[in-house]
Amino acid sequence: MANTALRFLIVDDFSTMRRIVRNLLKESGFSEADEAEDGVVALQKLRSSKFDFVVTDINMPNMNGFQLLAEVKSDEKLKHLPVLMVTAEARKEDIVAAAQGGAAGYIVKPFTKATLEEKVNLILKKQGLA
Amino acid sequence: MQEEQSPPALDASAASLVQGGVHNKLGLLTRQLHDALRELGYADRLRSSADKLPDAQNRLSYIARLTGEAAEKVLTLVDDAKVRQTTIVSETKRMRQSMIADPVAAVAKGHIMNYLEEMEKSTEIVDQQLTDIMMAQDFHDLTGQVIAKVVSLASNLESQLVELLLQTAPPGAVPVAPATEPVPEAANAEDAWAAALAEGASGEVASPAHPELSGPVVDPQGTPNVVSSQSEVDDLLASLGF
Repeated sequence: MANTALRFLIVDDFSTMRRIVRNLLKESGFSEADEAEDGVVALQKLRSSKFDFVVTDINMPNMNGFQLLAEVKSDEKLKHLPVLMVTAEARKEDIVAAAQGGAAGYIVKPFTKATLEEKVNLILKKQGLA
Repeated sequence: MQEEQSPPALDASAASLVQGGVHNKLGLLTRQLHDALRELGYADRLRSSADKLPDAQNRLSYIARLTGEAAEKVLTLVDDAKVRQTTIVSETKRMRQSMIADPVAAVAKGHIMNYLEEMEKSTEIVDQQLTDIMMAQDFHDLTGQVIAKVVSLASNLESQLVELLLQTAPPGAVPVAPATEPVPEAANAEDAWAAALAEGASGEVASPAHPELSGPVVDPQGTPNVVSSQSEVDDLLASLGF
């Protein structure tokens, strides 16, 4: 059963994709979510409000997903946050870089509802948040 | 009334001479362009952009395929959902009449229970179809990234050609610079790409994509070192101990 009190931050430069991810999370029982259109806005929100989970795209303006991941993992107050990358970047070197950078998971677009649900639940279980 | 005079017809030999002259002029222009490009050092730069044109063709084909598939998927789902909705409406009307006519019989004969079970199944299916319709909209993100790359290529090619034109303009020809207005900074990706599409000709493209990132893979078979499915991602992460 999903921990419905968990708060998600969905980071993507495309509002369509943010809306899709938000709706899918809601269907999976996670209705607490906020959105950011790039890494800069995401960091501002993460530093000013409490979140439990970050779902982020990689290819974004101003600050991309890798840069956001690095910022989160180097911040004492944020580094505990699981970061799930949801991206069209399919190069193996990008997947390896994300894993080495501390990402909790990696989903390639286009993806299915089942994939997102499975990865989120797996990460929450590992983090003891499920 | 003045009689219209038709131009004198060229005989075959004269026409051949004219054609030959045009052909020679075109040949000369091509040679001059080739030499100018080489002397000015543009040949390699333009060749580099031209080499990317087949890639642009692949990307545009990818956009056409993705948008086509999404439209087809949505229309099929809507067709099915509408049939299901029509059945729900007609069955509900029938059950209402049955309840009005003889409510005890409707319950006793199991009509009500059957109806409720059918409704539960149908609404679950329609709910899944709505989710699938929503997921089909992900083409917007993927094609948007690809369009940005194609616009960037076209813009680079154009700016190189304009630069060449300015450098090779004959003496005395004063090029008039087009009035340019500053492009407002785009608030989000959709705006940025819309701006890029509108701006196209001005050189710098307001692409939000970081050049080092490759974006969606338009040709998985012809692209080395990329994954083509989520299971390949999972296998790769598992091999790294994740």
